[in-house]
Amino acid sequence: MSTADTFPKLLEENARLRGDKPSIREKNLGIWQSWSWQQVRGEVRAMAHGLAALGLKRGDRIAVIGDNRPQLYWGIVAAQALGAVPVPVYQDAVARELQFVLNHAEIRYALAEDQEQVDKLLEVKDECALLEQIVYDDPRGMRHYTQPFLHSLASVEAMGREHLKEHPDYYDEQMAQGGGSDTAIFLYTSGTTGSPKGVVLTFDNLISVSRMSVEMENLKEDEETLAYLPMAWVGDNIFSIGQSFVAGFCVNCPESGATVMQDLREVGPTYFFAPPRIFENILTTVMVRMQDAGWLKRKMFDFFMGHARKVGVRLLQKESVGLWDRILYRVGEVLVYGPLKNTLGFSRVRRAYTAGEAIGPDIFDFYRSIGLNMKQLYGQTEASVFVTMQPDNEVYADSVGVACPGVELRIDDDTREVLYRSAGVFKEYYKNEEATRETKTDDGWVHTGDAGFIDHNGHLRIIDRAKDVGKLTDGTLFAPKYLENKLKFFPFIREAVAFGDGRDFVTAMISIDLEAVGAWAERNNVVYSGYRDLSMKPEVYEIVRENIAQVNRDLAEDSALAGSQIHRFVLLHKELDADDGELTRTRKVRRNFVAERYQPVIDALYSGRDQVRCEVETTFEDGRTGTTAADLVIADAETTAPSGDLRAAA
Amino acid sequence: MDEAAATAEDHTDDKAGPATGEDKRLGDILLKVDNISLSFGGVQAISEVSFDIREHEILAIIGPNGAGKTSMLNVINGFYHPQLGTITYKGKTRRQMKPHAAARQGIARTFQNVALFRGMTTLDNIMTGRVPRLPDNLFSDIANIFLQAVWLGPAKKSEMEQRAFVERIIDFLEIQAIRRVPVGRLPYGLQKRVELGRALAMEPDLLLLDEPMAGMNLEEKEDMSRFILDVNDEFGTTIALIEHDMGVVMDISDRVVVLNYGRKIADGTPEQVQSNPEVVDAYLGVGHG
Repeated sequence: MSTADTFPKLLEENARLRGDKPSIREKNLGIWQSWSWQQVRGEVRAMAHGLAALGLKRGDRIAVIGDNRPQLYWGIVAAQALGAVPVPVYQDAVARELQFVLNHAEIRYALAEDQEQVDKLLEVKDECALLEQIVYDDPRGMRHYTQPFLHSLASVEAMGREHLKEHPDYYDEQMAQGGGSDTAIFLYTSGTTGSPKGVVLTFDNLISVSRMSVEMENLKEDEETLAYLPMAWVGDNIFSIGQSFVAGFCVNCPESGATVMQDLREVGPTYFFAPPRIFENILTTVMVRMQDAGWLKRKMFDFFMGHARKVGVRLLQKESVGLWDRILYRVGEVLVYGPLKNTLGFSRVRRAYTAGEAIGPDIFDFYRSIGLNMKQLYGQTEASVFVTMQPDNEVYADSVGVACPGVELRIDDDTREVLYRSAGVFKEYYKNEEATRETKTDDGWVHTGDAGFIDHNGHLRIIDRAKDVGKLTDGTLFAPKYLENKLKFFPFIREAVAFGDGRDFVTAMISIDLEAVGAWAERNNVVYSGYRDLSMKPEVYEIVRENIAQVNRDLAEDSALAGSQIHRFVLLHKELDADDGELTRTRKVRRNFVAERYQPVIDALYSGRDQVRCEVETTFEDGRTGTTAADLVIADAETTAPSGDLRAAA
Repeated sequence: MDEAAATAEDHTDDKAGPATGEDKRLGDILLKVDNISLSFGGVQAISEVSFDIREHEILAIIGPNGAGKTSMLNVINGFYHPQLGTITYKGKTRRQMKPHAAARQGIARTFQNVALFRGMTTLDNIMTGRVPRLPDNLFSDIANIFLQAVWLGPAKKSEMEQRAFVERIIDFLEIQAIRRVPVGRLPYGLQKRVELGRALAMEPDLLLLDEPMAGMNLEEKEDMSRFILDVNDEFGTTIALIEHDMGVVMDISDRVVVLNYGRKIADGTPEQVQSNPEVVDAYLGVGHG
């Protein structure tokens, strides 16, 4: 393996080893344009000389802001070659957020994609005293901008060519001065509380993690990836620069944000990452389109998808499957799975990853059953992405895998917080020693803030934010979000709120999904007058009771969670609603507010009564408020004795 | 670089947006409408209207419903033939002109109701805008049909050139994502944008837009306004547009012509027109009180 310890040095190596192979592509004016490693080397050098001519020097910070564009990736590497630190900023950041980052990172230079980003920079420039020069890539609409500190990339590169004539060895000298322990990049994490924190990552961090993951996943130079996630996100830095530079594979930049799905299909990546939300959207699109398809196609789709659900995952895991099922699956591959994957652009995917939040088992299994090798990983900016990952053939919807090579993992006994230590661990939060001390211990362990446990497969499961995890009176772990997510994966359950912290057992308040349950009622000739009526039907209770029993059976499999099975539940007579303050605008349950509002219901859940009168203020869609009242039925749920692991129960 | 530095000294305002002030390259008169009258049977649609359109400007034609705005555009691009008056376009005076001849001479337009080929893709619709730019004689038409059928040398080269031009328009209007979508499936706002694209494909000198923002929501209007300004700015295209949204008209046009009952009642900068009492009466209604 190579000894290059910075990205500019890796670029030299790639230009030497595979100079003619494509390094990056971009779709422009309807045609995929590609640059070979040799060409990229030339572009980066021209840009570095230009930036040097503008005055960028070792230790300076340069903001990089825009969509995934080859020029912006080159700008990052060019800055690194000069010893400057690139600071990618989210392209949809509003001016105020941009201003914070510019000031906090003491940024003197900015590389912007286009007029939109330049306008944002100009808007905050007065408040950012240090910002001196702005370089933009796309000249469209920029003709009338005459500020002296604005430069087109083309003019900067022209300056670079002059600079090169005068200082022919400058680039190589600067590059040689850089080393693995130097700061490679600042990545600002959004942070749900307080101001964003600037995570300082070194070349050693990024390159060691890239090498580890390339080796573990056996990535080759003929991989194709699509760079469509924000450049300011650590993942893009690892996937589109780190791994690409280490393995020498080609990165494709989509034509625009709106064309990603088409570009995905045209590129046919072999290696693909998407957060669960995107996989979910793709699946929804498929389902909607299938409903519009002809009768024969629909029948075929339903039949073969049913078959895939039965054996697809087992085939992917290389488990034994009967001959007839194998043959049928092959037929399905020709008639349904293959064309479907082709339409979605997944035909060539050898590895697909998802991470970031829990993925619904149905969604996960859908993709795996049609033969997409989809896996979950768990990572953080502070770890240069990789903490745990699912090895091939050990993939489960509800876990995030085992520790990656070189990563030590430990669970705090008391708080259940997940801690890790690895070569990818960040250097510090920029100018925030206090936060650094809180997150990273002196011996290098990082607090993730997530609570989790190692399950019966030896995999890490993330259950909730550590601060939200509570305990039952007997000390059993209680992770509300974990339970609620499990419940919400059932189509009939729209929202769920679990209670149990400081109680004897766990209970849940559930609001049903009117659309899904309504459709079911129509099919089964259940007559109902509205949401409240439907939610009180004994038949509906029966379905939800079965859902909860299923959740309880899953929970019983793990000693850590077996005690937090749901004992009693109630179906609410209204949907939890952001207008009533019960949910945030991003549809997260406001637990404390809900607990207060439905106090009588919760009391009833724990009192053994089987009915309770519930009255709540409701805001109607036209803004008027009124009271809705109902006599809610409280039902017992079926629980399962902890299986397999009776020691824990004893 | 030096030039930019020199001009920038005049500007103290370096906040968002272009730093220059007025930098319109207003040129000579491109089109002059002189004393036009148009009637349909007994209905007088336009009476004795005169105005001119200067190169590189954005001219708005406004007026209440039935004021004769669309008729005026139809006269300009040769769809209607006025009974009286003359039109001078690029120095040539005429009363009648065929729409296709107008198209060949660089007058392109969009319609109040979107008039695209609904079953064709965005790309193909915009490609049709290139037709007037192809060589214009019977022999080459026949030759082209043959060559295109067998996809040989010149036809292939020509097709590639036209396509490259159309791709620049697609990029300009940011409609890459709908390149292959039949326009009938597109939302209205996007159809309007495709229609603008088709008009641009003709590389017009004069672009006539008939209510480009009708039926759009605020965001779509903002987008369309930006595209109109960009077209004017980047390509120097002269634009005459009909629009009902006064905010838009006042924001983007250099000059406004006001029609009422087929007569011109005002002509001037947006500020002048806004303060003209006759316009206020005609357009905003007479105050009774």
